[in-house]
Amino acid sequence: MACTGSTERHHRGKLPVLSALVGCLALLSLSGCGSLHAKPPTDPDDLADYKAVNDPYEPFNRKMFNLNMWVYHKALRPVGHFWKNNIPQPIRTSVATLNETWRQPAVFFSDVGAGRPRRAGDSFMRFLLNMTTAGFYDVAQHLGYKQHETDPGMVMALWGIKSGPYIFLPGLGPTNFRDAAGYAIGQGLTPINYVPRGYGLISFNWGYNILGTFNTFADSTDQLDQLEHQSLDPYAFMRSAWQQQRQSQIDALKADHRATTPDWY
Amino acid sequence: MMLRQLTRRTILGAASLFALVPTLAFAAPSGDEAKAFVNDFGGKLVNVLNSDGSLEKKREVLLPLLLANVDVQGIGRYCLGRFWRVATPEQQKLYLELFQDVLLNAVMARVGEYQNISIRLVDTVPSPAGQKVTLEISRPHQPSIMMTAVIDGEPPKVVDLYGEGASMRLTQRSDYTTYLTRHGGQVQTLIMALKHQLGRD
Repeated sequence: MACTGSTERHHRGKLPVLSALVGCLALLSLSGCGSLHAKPPTDPDDLADYKAVNDPYEPFNRKMFNLNMWVYHKALRPVGHFWKNNIPQPIRTSVATLNETWRQPAVFFSDVGAGRPRRAGDSFMRFLLNMTTAGFYDVAQHLGYKQHETDPGMVMALWGIKSGPYIFLPGLGPTNFRDAAGYAIGQGLTPINYVPRGYGLISFNWGYNILGTFNTFADSTDQLDQLEHQSLDPYAFMRSAWQQQRQSQIDALKADHRATTPDWY
Repeated sequence: MMLRQLTRRTILGAASLFALVPTLAFAAPSGDEAKAFVNDFGGKLVNVLNSDGSLEKKREVLLPLLLANVDVQGIGRYCLGRFWRVATPEQQKLYLELFQDVLLNAVMARVGEYQNISIRLVDTVPSPAGQKVTLEISRPHQPSIMMTAVIDGEPPKVVDLYGEGASMRLTQRSDYTTYLTRHGGQVQTLIMALKHQLGRD
């Protein structure tokens, strides 16, 4: 029942190129899979449930979810456990901070797009301060600039763009049409993805993404195991938890009208 | 005249009673009552979790504490959603017994993860489901956890928990109702699945 933490982390620390590629392929295949579109039921109660979950591609999504869980059991879970059991916590925390710091520009631009100056200031300062340690240590948190999540999908929601149907993409996890587009935009707003070939940074980029992915697996394994153990329909459980959490993130962004001065001022 | 007075009195009395019934049935605690309840219940929980006793001993003490302060029956009924209406009284009774065990097992399985914790009340917000009391749970050498408990009823009880924006009972309801929809809407199928989950089949 505490699997909800995994959903936010699904957006963090993944191999963006691979994830985007897999996601795009899966999205493209949607159009050619008419039979994977669930027909609206005729029973009024079933129809109400069908509309509430906003998942017309459920047959397709379940196949993708099963594929994801197969890969999880065969590869990701052992890797996650190895990482968690063999890498000391301070190093894992540093990798998580590094991953988060290098994504800060995308968070900053999203905050600006959302018209939230306080959040934008926080993400700007977080990037500036944490980069003094190359992103390995969260200096900013100790100075009152706490980490927060804003991404282009949330901004589009704030602008009134509808989510579109729920989709589950291997590599990306639970999302919807709007947030999948937001993920691609977020990758475009992350400067390290533009480092030209031949630079040492490109190795660093792959390194930090791969390590970040290990961290994500390590953080998620317990929650995914719990999800499989405690729910009768893990797919439905994850869908509901993700949809609620996503809505709560959007609501929090909408309600954030704080002044631009930080807490310590 | 007497008849008219009686009628008026009867009508007024009946109206007052009817007005009182919903108040009694849906009495929601005030913000202060909810805070006091969470402080009391949370304090007892923390004392048990932080005590030096064995896990078995802790579970023995926690079980009655949870049953007294968490509306397990109400949550169970909510989780069955529209299928509650189609279940027979026997199925409802059996389902609630199984649900209670599933819920308590889930909580008890995680008791060992919470040692030397402390809780702090962050804020209280009224909502249609009850008073939402947000707590910060601090654990040594680990990030703190924000959790929201929904408190409702008379006497006050926990009717829902929110973690990272997701309602526990709503997520569980989605799990159960989707399972039922995909298995012909037969509550007996869910009962069998819960038995299997508890290793009782």
